[in-house]
Amino acid sequence: MNVDMARRFDTVTPGVRRVFYAYAVAAAVLTLGAVLHPGFASWTSLRAVLVVAAFTGFVAAGQMLVVLVGGIDLSIPWVLNGAAIVLTTTSLGQSSRLPMALAFALGVGALAGFANGMGVAWLGVPAVVMTLGMNGVLQGLSLGLSKGLTCASCGSYAPQPLRDLFTGGVAGVPAALLVWIGVALLMTVLLTLTTFGRRVYAVGVNSRAAFLSGVGVRGVTVALYTLSGVFAALAGIMLVGYGGQPSLGLGDPYLFESIAAVVVGGVSILGGRGHYLGVVAGSLTLVAVTTFLQAQRVPEYGRLMIYGLVILVILFAYGRDRSHD
Amino acid sequence: MRPVPTRAETPASAEVLAVRASGVHRAFGGVQALRDASFAARPGEIHALAGENGAGKSTLIKVLCGLISADRGTVEIFGQQVRRVVEPAARRRLGVATAFQELSLLPDLTVAENLLLQDPPRGRLGLVRRSRLAPTADAILRRYGVDYIDSRATTADLSVAHRQIVELVRVLAQEPRVVILDEPTAALPDRQVEWLAGHMRRLRDEGCCVIFTSHRWREIEQLADRVTVFRNGTRVATRDRISESEAVTLMSGRTLEGTYPDVAALPVGETALRVDGLAGGRLRGVSFELRQGEILGVGGLAGQGQRDLFLTLFGARKAESGALRVGGEAVTVRRPKDAIRAGMGIAYVPEDRKAEGLFLPLSIRDNVALATLSRRSAAGFVRRGAERAAVASIGGQLRIGGGRATNQAVGTLSGGNQQKVVMARWLLTDARVLLLFDVTRGVDAATKHDIYQLVAELAAQGKAILFHSSETEEIANLCHRVLVLREGRISAELPGPVGDADRIVAASLKEVGDA
Amino acid sequence: MREFMARLRLVPAQAGLGYVVLVATAAAYLVVYTSSLGRFPTSFDYLSILNTMLPLVFVAIGQSLVVLTGGIDLSVGGIVSLCVTVTATTVTGTGLAPFGWLLVVLALGAACGAVNGMIVAVGRIAPILATLATLSIFTGLALWVLPVPGGSIPPVVRNVLSNPNVPTGLIWLGVAVGGWLVLRRTRFGMRVYAIGSDETSARAVGVPAGRVKLGVYALSGLCSALAAIFYVSTTTAGDANAGAPFILTSIASVVVGGVAFTGGRGSALGAVAGAVALTLVIDVLFFAGIDPLYQSLFQGLFLVVAVLLGTAATFLTRRRRATP
Ligand SMILES: Nc1ncnc2c1ncn2[C@@H]1O[C@H](COP(=O)(O)OP(=O)(O)OP(=O)(O)O)[C@@H](O)[C@H]1O
Ligand SMILES: [Mg+2]
Repeated sequence: MNVDMARRFDTVTPGVRRVFYAYAVAAAVLTLGAVLHPGFASWTSLRAVLVVAAFTGFVAAGQMLVVLVGGIDLSIPWVLNGAAIVLTTTSLGQSSRLPMALAFALGVGALAGFANGMGVAWLGVPAVVMTLGMNGVLQGLSLGLSKGLTCASCGSYAPQPLRDLFTGGVAGVPAALLVWIGVALLMTVLLTLTTFGRRVYAVGVNSRAAFLSGVGVRGVTVALYTLSGVFAALAGIMLVGYGGQPSLGLGDPYLFESIAAVVVGGVSILGGRGHYLGVVAGSLTLVAVTTFLQAQRVPEYGRLMIYGLVILVILFAYGRDRSHD
Repeated sequence: MRPVPTRAETPASAEVLAVRASGVHRAFGGVQALRDASFAARPGEIHALAGENGAGKSTLIKVLCGLISADRGTVEIFGQQVRRVVEPAARRRLGVATAFQELSLLPDLTVAENLLLQDPPRGRLGLVRRSRLAPTADAILRRYGVDYIDSRATTADLSVAHRQIVELVRVLAQEPRVVILDEPTAALPDRQVEWLAGHMRRLRDEGCCVIFTSHRWREIEQLADRVTVFRNGTRVATRDRISESEAVTLMSGRTLEGTYPDVAALPVGETALRVDGLAGGRLRGVSFELRQGEILGVGGLAGQGQRDLFLTLFGARKAESGALRVGGEAVTVRRPKDAIRAGMGIAYVPEDRKAEGLFLPLSIRDNVALATLSRRSAAGFVRRGAERAAVASIGGQLRIGGGRATNQAVGTLSGGNQQKVVMARWLLTDARVLLLFDVTRGVDAATKHDIYQLVAELAAQGKAILFHSSETEEIANLCHRVLVLREGRISAELPGPVGDADRIVAASLKEVGDA
Repeated sequence: MREFMARLRLVPAQAGLGYVVLVATAAAYLVVYTSSLGRFPTSFDYLSILNTMLPLVFVAIGQSLVVLTGGIDLSVGGIVSLCVTVTATTVTGTGLAPFGWLLVVLALGAACGAVNGMIVAVGRIAPILATLATLSIFTGLALWVLPVPGGSIPPVVRNVLSNPNVPTGLIWLGVAVGGWLVLRRTRFGMRVYAIGSDETSARAVGVPAGRVKLGVYALSGLCSALAAIFYVSTTTAGDANAGAPFILTSIASVVVGGVAFTGGRGSALGAVAGAVALTLVIDVLFFAGIDPLYQSLFQGLFLVVAVLLGTAATFLTRRRRATP
């Protein structure tokens, strides 16, 4: 890199620079996979990676929003799971009930997120506690009300149109991918072009100064947690659309994965810095690693260890937060 | 390691240097804080370190005491080389004690724990005797004549001034051979400044090397035996005697004429802000009127409710009672958002720009535009063209960053420019009432001068300005009228410009006639 | 007495939270138990509660140390799993031999914690992320050691650690509490609070933050190993997924115990109280005849309400202090 380019790269904000790193890592992982495992780069395999990454991407979108203001959402697993159960039990597999079921499922997510936001912003409960408590509450409600998923309506499948959409796709492009593109656009526009986005970053960097500049810090916080709930519910809906039926523990893998995707995507865990486009790359990287290891028939213990090591290496590469000297 | 001579054994001759730094370079990311800096101080002298904001004084101090490493160059303490980051224990053995600019007290610990953290009283088995902490700390506080501070109190609950005092006591009590105080007086009321000066002189007379920084020339003049001036990370001069104007020229590279603008010449108009019986926090019922074009000073001893007055007017603190009229219109202000919109608009410029004003990693543009986002938006989208134009125009007016790109991160700007960014944000709101709370705290002489001019200019444009400063002299010279606060009430009103700061101090000390 | 009252008032309301919650839960337990069974709990009940809660108590102590420095340790789940599998597969023999192996397990836990400490202190990676990565690694190791649940523990170990007839658990609980009390009175203990209060300042006044953090994470690992040993001793078998539930429950214990998430405030004893209370809540729900499926609902509510009470208490004491 010549000096002039280096200088130009220097004026790019660190947040944007990390997006580049995130894509570089994703590209590296995919290339490595293609070299080591012929067929990994085929469209079918890539398509599968993209679809699975989409689910991580949805959940990570919500997680990213709360991380941007220095929070965290630990309620994702059971918001997701709860929304999935609500969708099938209210739709009872009938297409006519699908719109209502969708509204209910998303409503559950929004409500849970809203409650999280209110607890954090108005009652001053630490985010870890509030969302951890909410996760328990939703788990209890989901299990209790569905009698451990043994209730009469619990055997229902997701309505056929939803399943067709997610197992088939639109014009050969998987629906999950299309939705993901939509989410990515929405997130990017929201965070970079709107006044709301500006306020989000301001709150994330210095909430006291934001308050003193007339930003409704509490309103912004509540909105972000609500959105996080909605995204988790969305992921739940699509997972049942994809798999047909909800299961217990459907959301469990997504808790830590969403945090990892956010950070691998170059978002600062301390808040105020990061872009969703980076998180897209982060989700891709994580899923590509897992898929590749599965394709190589690496046993589960090996997958877990390599997964952890990959995250560590990435953290060392660009996931450090500037702190003490 | 060879044993370090104790203070008594140290020869007090001028030949031995207590502190010597030469060719020191230090960069933070892209910012070169020190370049080829040199510095020397003798035992038995008080040595002032002067320079503009960002000149590198604090960085030099951190390198001197081994808290951070120099990229290049050498540092010696009594001839002994300090290499790289010094282990904390070794740092103590060097005999250097430092009071840092950002204070280094631990907010959740008690005063006693803070004072004794490194050397707590121990009992059998070497375990800390927690019951002895407070008595031991009390003895130390008594020794330094500040036993009005409760050693059992949690440090976070202390006033800023008391915290500063604890920090200083922590340093003095180490009986060091080199004492470094980075802006020790920024948060101290006058009386405690005297207290500190006494201890600095005593230490000097005992042969200790005392180094301090300050942006108040009066203190440097009264205390320092020698002055070293820094500029842009390098030493530009070390002198025994130096006049203020010469020093300012050395520090900033420009000459300043007439410290204060002539406020008496500025005309005063209609009432802009009317406050009736405002109470809440420390305020016990404050009423006054502020007119357009007027600069109204708020003085008094530290902590008499000045801060609460400003915050309450701006809606950042809850008012218990009281009424507010802005431009004749009754308004209720519950949060800053209301204040910005109220009548002709109220704006608040805080003293602690890093904590309350700035978003360091964000660009100049984001910082400046934040309070007026919705005015330049359509359907929730930022109108970027309009924003760029507005920020460029206000930035040009205030000469922010010497015309540098507005997408630069504010964290890379000098302190003076950062203060201007905060000002610019509020000027963009077109607020007619400006609450300026100690905006010159920790600001260098040249920037202070700029701020005085700006304040006068704004008043000339018809803005109504409520002005508080921890430097009473500024209130005395920059204001049409001065309100003196005492125990949450207005205890006196002086017509201005008062000129002589002592008159305000005298008024501050007088008992309130209950009215 | 006056002195004592004065001192009581200086205890921040939040710090006493754990004990208040513990007393309330214990009372609820007694009430619910006696009214549903018509008699007081027997020593057998107490013993079984004691033995079930010990693992969580230990993890909570370790977690609270980390949280006191302003960090968080998600890898406790992985370390517990790893140590559980190692204990269940290697601790065999008779006489003193198994105890030698137990020491090896403890060393392993401490080493895992030290790895976390290195990554956090030397690598300067946010604790939540560092331990998220190592959680995956340690869990992988556990699966490698013991792919399917199984293993065993010699009876001699059981007799010493969690004897179903003699309250040996009480001794271990006492050792844990005593260990904390000693730790609190060392310079290391003071430094833990200093770092949690403000790390930059602590460094500036000469606290070797890196070393202290390394020590804290290593201790957390050691506590997880202890928890693992007690876990295997009570369940008599190992499982590579045994540790996972401890991640969130240990955080919950710390929170209920009144340790501030920002660091610097609270104590491990509070976390112990929190852990005991959380364990008791399950019994309370059981004896109150609540469908176990709803268990986590009430645990979640319990967590949030406990913290809200703490916040409210702090708020009220502040108000009282502000208006004399
Ligand atoms: N930790 C840091 N990270 C990045 N930049 C830094 C850091 N510390 C100092 N700087 C930069 O180094 C330069 C010198 O800062 P320094 O604090 O030494 O100035 P100073 O002379 O003490 O100023 P002031 O009078 O405002 O205290 C400034 O431009 C500052 O922004
Ligand atoms: Mg400085």
